[in-house]
Amino acid sequence: MAELRQIAIYGKGGIGKSTTTQNLTAGLVEHGKKVMVVGCDPKADSTRLLLGGLAQKTVLDTIREEGEDISLDRIMKEGFGGTKCVESGGPEPGVGCAGRGIITSINMLENLGAYTDDLDYVFYDVLGDVVCGGFAMPIREGKAKEIYIVASGEMMALYAANNISKGIQRYARTGGVRLGGIICNSRNVDRELDLLRAFSKELGTKLLYFVPRDNVVQHAEINKKTVIEYKPDSNQAQEYRNLAQAVIENTDFVIPTPMTQERLEEILMEYGMMELSDDYKI
Amino acid sequence: MAKLLDKQRYKCALGSMQTVQAIERAIPILHSGPGCAQKLADGNGSSGYFSPNIFPCTSINEKDVVFGGVKKLHSTIENSLKVIDADLYVVLTGCIPEIVGDDSGEVVSEFADADKPVIYAPTAGFKGNNYKGHEQIIDAIIDQYLKKTDNKEKGLVNIWADVPYQDLYWLGNLRALENLIKEIGLTPNTIFGYERGIKNVDKIASAEFNLLVSPWVSVKNMKKMEKKLGIPYLHYNTLPIGAFETSKFLREVGKFAGVDEKKVEDVITEHEKYYYYLIERFADLFLENRVINKQFTVVADAQYALGITKFLTNDLGLVPAKQFVTDDTPKEYREAITEEFKKLNYGLEAEVSFETDGYKIHEEIKSHDYHGYPLVLGGYYDREVTEDLKGNFLNISWPVKDKIVLNDAIVGYEGGIRLIEDIYTVASQRFN
Repeated sequence: MAELRQIAIYGKGGIGKSTTTQNLTAGLVEHGKKVMVVGCDPKADSTRLLLGGLAQKTVLDTIREEGEDISLDRIMKEGFGGTKCVESGGPEPGVGCAGRGIITSINMLENLGAYTDDLDYVFYDVLGDVVCGGFAMPIREGKAKEIYIVASGEMMALYAANNISKGIQRYARTGGVRLGGIICNSRNVDRELDLLRAFSKELGTKLLYFVPRDNVVQHAEINKKTVIEYKPDSNQAQEYRNLAQAVIENTDFVIPTPMTQERLEEILMEYGMMELSDDYKI
Repeated sequence: MAKLLDKQRYKCALGSMQTVQAIERAIPILHSGPGCAQKLADGNGSSGYFSPNIFPCTSINEKDVVFGGVKKLHSTIENSLKVIDADLYVVLTGCIPEIVGDDSGEVVSEFADADKPVIYAPTAGFKGNNYKGHEQIIDAIIDQYLKKTDNKEKGLVNIWADVPYQDLYWLGNLRALENLIKEIGLTPNTIFGYERGIKNVDKIASAEFNLLVSPWVSVKNMKKMEKKLGIPYLHYNTLPIGAFETSKFLREVGKFAGVDEKKVEDVITEHEKYYYYLIERFADLFLENRVINKQFTVVADAQYALGITKFLTNDLGLVPAKQFVTDDTPKEYREAITEEFKKLNYGLEAEVSFETDGYKIHEEIKSHDYHGYPLVLGGYYDREVTEDLKGNFLNISWPVKDKIVLNDAIVGYEGGIRLIEDIYTVASQRFN
């Protein structure tokens, strides 16, 4: 049996991390892989497409209401193609410490024996940015060793990706965590592919895959399904299968080399983005 | 770079729960992890109606960190009001809720209509030590409880001095200061200790002025009261111990308060006559004993280090070696305090080091030539190093392990005599 690959997905809020992770998971399932998805976002919407809706009670809600003496099946549901789905959840907005919540949830999963030997992949879908130590939990303590950052050709997405790389660099110094590449979730920005390639190169990594924009993704979301389940024959379904293949075959794991703000802006200039967009501000 | 801090002489800001405890019938309600109060409590003089062992506490755990501890805080305050008969409830926050971001102030404001006053002081350990925590408590009282009044009571003076429980002689010193103030015809008001409590807290706003006797602790409180309550203040930075400083203190307070000069001088003369009568009777002992050498070192907070250094130099004619201030004095006050150590009689000046690391203090004591047996007045930590140097040691600052003080004082004429008794008791024991 191959070694378990634990993968954390980071990226700017709203960039499509959850959509990409779930569609990628569906692609891996088709390859016969056994996958667990752990949503690390208080909004708890990381497994909606796999489960066909927000059918899941979060780990933290369960702990809050039932205490810590719970069984695994109370917090883990089976989704599309036998994927195991968990939502960490979090406190109500504005109170408590969501970062600590993620730490608590992942510890709980370990204690309950969620990391079974038959798993090939575990994905941690982490909210927006690495705002505090708690959101770095998936890449601390030797959990996820592999990270992909979802980005697009938009300024703020790249800014966030660069910032996240700083966090990865920090933990890479002491642990085994490495950046596996950038996944572009296209927004149809001019010269997006070239920009993302240049950006990835500057970070010392590669553009792992360019997922084109397609409205079928939105249709599938409305129907609470992954594209592969909703329209298995569509072009977009094939794109996600290809993404899955790229992840399976990927062997390039690096310590990223985040750039200065000035250098980031230079790259954006080079690809003509700054002059196009008067309303982009940092 | 992180470094090891050896033998520090203070606690974290939450340690100021004992400032609350010193206000009779006031109770701290702790919003902190379990064990904070237990670890911060000072053993001596801590039992009674309320003690740290029974302070209400939210005892927050991991669940409260994740979801926030405000509900638990609310119910803890609510139930404390039901089952604990107190006059003032002071909610104190520890590190965890402050990091998580619990809005404790908002929770406390929900009890604005309670039968008894409930106030709140942020005393997270990372905000500083218990000297600063002490200031936070006084600030909370000023901000949330006291109201400005034009109804001033003639001659009423609020006195602020030692930090309760942290300073060994806090109770006796406050009483001694009260008595001195009373003797020159003013009416003292203090809030700590026996039969002071809420009724004296209520009097604060009607005082004519605040008298702060401390090098730096509570200077901020005085400024706040001046601004918010319109109470002017006299900052007397040296704890008056013995005749020289006490007479100076009385003259300065008398002048500030507009007390008749003759009245002040009469009080001083009467005290000094008796003080020097006592000294005279034992002058041969002081002059001829060969055990108390000329040089001394004080290791204490700014309050005791400065007060005792002045006393030993000005009244006993001893010579200051280096003095150590261990309370992590904020930088803005250090220069003024250093200057104060230079204002000694006989043209003497004392070198002072603001040092919180016990190891460094001990290395300096060991390397100094005291020209005989050193006299060290400090915390219990300093006993061993003094004994190794065959010196004479007196435990006058925190931590206190070989002395019990119920209401003894070192302030004033009497206080100076007590300190002389203690020092020469140590000396005389060496002849046995």
